[in-house]
Amino acid sequence: MNRRFSYFGKKLFQYTLVLFVAISINFGLPRLAPGDPLLYFFDESTIKELTGAQKQEVLDSVGLGGTLWEQYIQYLKGIFTWDFGTSIKYAQPVTEVIADKLLWTVTLILPALLLSAVIGVIIGAYSAWNRGRKRDIGFLTMMLTFQAVPGFWIGMLFIAIFAVQLGWFPTYGAVSIVQDGTTWGFIKDVAWHLVLPIATLSIATVGSNYLLTRSSMLESLGQDYMTMAEAKGVTKKTLIFNHGLRNALLPIYTQFTMSLGTLIGGSVVVETVFSYPGIGRLLYESVVARDFPMMQGVFLMITFGVIAANIFADLTYPLIDPRAKSSAVHKGGQ
Amino acid sequence: MKSMKKFFMLPVLAAGLVLGACSADEKETSDAEAVTDTASVENLTIGLSSDVGPLNIYTGNLDWLTDMVYDKLFSPSPYVDEPTPWLAESATQIDADTWEVVVRDGITWHDGEAFTAEDVKFTYEYYRDGPANRHTHHVSEVPQIDEISIGDDGRTVTFECGYACPSLQTITFADLPILPEHIWSNVENPRKYTDLAIGTGPFKLTEYVADQHYILEANNDYFMGAPTVGKITLPIIADSTAMFNALKSGQIDASSKTVPAELVSTFKGDAQFKLAEATNLSIVQFGLNYQKAPFDNEKFRQAMSLAVDRQAIVDTILLGQGRAGDKGYPHPDSPWTNPELSTPYNTAEAIALFEELGYKDTDGDGFREDINGEALQLSIKVSSGEPIYVRAAELMVEQYKAVGINMFVEALDPTTFAAHNSEKNFDTYVSLIGPHGVADPDQFIMSHRSGYLWAKEMPYAKMDELVTKWMAASTIEERKTISFDMQTLYNEQPTAIALYYPEEVYAYNAEKFDGYVESLGYGVINKFSFLPEATQQAVSATQPVIVE
Repeated sequence: MNRRFSYFGKKLFQYTLVLFVAISINFGLPRLAPGDPLLYFFDESTIKELTGAQKQEVLDSVGLGGTLWEQYIQYLKGIFTWDFGTSIKYAQPVTEVIADKLLWTVTLILPALLLSAVIGVIIGAYSAWNRGRKRDIGFLTMMLTFQAVPGFWIGMLFIAIFAVQLGWFPTYGAVSIVQDGTTWGFIKDVAWHLVLPIATLSIATVGSNYLLTRSSMLESLGQDYMTMAEAKGVTKKTLIFNHGLRNALLPIYTQFTMSLGTLIGGSVVVETVFSYPGIGRLLYESVVARDFPMMQGVFLMITFGVIAANIFADLTYPLIDPRAKSSAVHKGGQ
Repeated sequence: MKSMKKFFMLPVLAAGLVLGACSADEKETSDAEAVTDTASVENLTIGLSSDVGPLNIYTGNLDWLTDMVYDKLFSPSPYVDEPTPWLAESATQIDADTWEVVVRDGITWHDGEAFTAEDVKFTYEYYRDGPANRHTHHVSEVPQIDEISIGDDGRTVTFECGYACPSLQTITFADLPILPEHIWSNVENPRKYTDLAIGTGPFKLTEYVADQHYILEANNDYFMGAPTVGKITLPIIADSTAMFNALKSGQIDASSKTVPAELVSTFKGDAQFKLAEATNLSIVQFGLNYQKAPFDNEKFRQAMSLAVDRQAIVDTILLGQGRAGDKGYPHPDSPWTNPELSTPYNTAEAIALFEELGYKDTDGDGFREDINGEALQLSIKVSSGEPIYVRAAELMVEQYKAVGINMFVEALDPTTFAAHNSEKNFDTYVSLIGPHGVADPDQFIMSHRSGYLWAKEMPYAKMDELVTKWMAASTIEERKTISFDMQTLYNEQPTAIALYYPEEVYAYNAEKFDGYVESLGYGVINKFSFLPEATQQAVSATQPVIVE
């Protein structure tokens, strides 16, 4: 019990330390880049016309008039009260803007991650089982191509074919501006807008899932327990999925849980190509506007997301691999 | 094997479809015959490339969009020589420093409140004394409006300036949007104000979703005639490719973003689209840091201007879509610009000037050293978000190499570029300056005080003398003559060299709506495109040139 408590205590300390360092970096990083929020309010020639007092007045009006230290204290206080300040660009509380965009991002990224993982794992396992055959080489070539092709190009290609030429899907946005007013109509409309972005994101990420599964699976296939299972006469399907893939899943599971952390960050490229109002675009726009409170808020969300995904991976990994559980407790007790 | 063939055929098929999508010839045009009236329409969708907030003048700003909701005392803009009375019924210059404006009666704000002379007084005082915005210096410095009062009739507003202000009617009154006092007098912090804009303009802002869209609905009681479009939806499409794909797919009817030269051909020959050419009164400029060597020397700046082949930039980089900047600065199409200005390309003269100044190639590496014999290498900073400017800068590096000046390109992210620019942290830069900077004569004076074209703390005897004369001039004609002399002086030793004048091309679906007119400096997407023909004529809006 003590060993386990000590293990979790140590982990808690580690994460708290990481969180504090990340929080401080989140504050410092936006301010290290050249430029400040004045550039959002005024163009380059007008900004030169401002007096020092006028510049100070602008910074005061958006809550950035204090010293760096005062701003840092304010920022730390805000974290504990869940008040990240007011966005300079949107003139709304940072939390409200993030909450609005986060919903769209999760709607886009989560299905794409799952789709990419499921397709990558299934084809990866199938490919490994057929190692060296034409179908394996075919899939390998296809996946390496997907891996090499930039996501934005896939998106542009999809738009040109399926939106412009065939007219099946919209070219931009998350939802039509004019709605029929029904919930079902809204859901259908959102899904219609999601098809191309999800397909783009899935294709852009499926390659890495496939390659990881294939290599992990190849390692599993060479193990003695596979020979043993085959000798026992289990079916091909059971052999691939129950004996091979189950053991090969460990690194894939780690990759998947870690990618959940990046989910919150959205995808700048796909969100830009499809004019999708998610966190990725929000972050980009905030960086361009030097919207310090918004940048801090989004960075913080991403930090929380990555740390939460790490904790989730740490906690759940022993469940799928009992060896990790005993090893962790053992190390924790040392 | 069969499946493998299919697999490898996929990219070929995809490429074929993309080419097909880009081919204008394949578009069906049968719908065109069914459409008869394109001068008015109930709904129109125009793509917008950036979010400028809830049209609050104190945060984001896009002049043509602001103009859809707000009005000014005179219209259309300071970029024409004789603006038309708009919210003002008339304006009279009483003496060199005083103007009387009679405001129109019977106009209401979008929320139903009456528009009054008090709103005008409040607005000008708010711009002058309130939080700074881009209009502040047009009230507090050039010109300097000291007193504003309202006559006993309640409709006459008297403006008294600190020094002669003959351009008040033509420039200032045509530039500053009028705000409703009953709303803005209660706004505590305009930079955090998020309520939808209330104006007197032809369209009411009825919906704004950040980063997604705006909806403007016609103000059918508009005092200059009911708009010809009932509702304008403006989806925000930041990506340029996505914008033009949306236009081709029929999701939007026009793009407020102009068509890049390389995309013009994809719309040509397609019956449903028209390409309208317009002059946005902007200049792509090559700025020099006149506060540091070697650009603090007027002859060096002159040599730099002589050494740049502007026509080559237009031909090579813009594919001919623009005019070489050989008429200098400000924009030659502005009625306030001296038509005699000339900034020729002459490398022999440039070389002679560099030699005269002592910039010689002493080590034989093909590049000139500075007057102390030290290596001279100068950077051209440019925003990475503007690939055309990056390419122009790269071509200029070659052009300057031909006269022995060693330059290199530094592409920076847009905000870092803007920060370096505003902090004067550059040798040279390439950027765009819009009509407010290069077609508004008052701004030319302001730019020589602000640090943009010159800094007021730096001596500049010849220009200062002209500015003193300009400030004393009591008529607009006198001002114009003196301005012409200033422009001549400026272009002899420019601190921002005009590289080219972009010719903007707008693409729109003419089968949906074809009532677009050009308002100088605003292109074809401007409020007059959506107003009755008589109103368009009143502000001298012109039919755009259609690219065939």
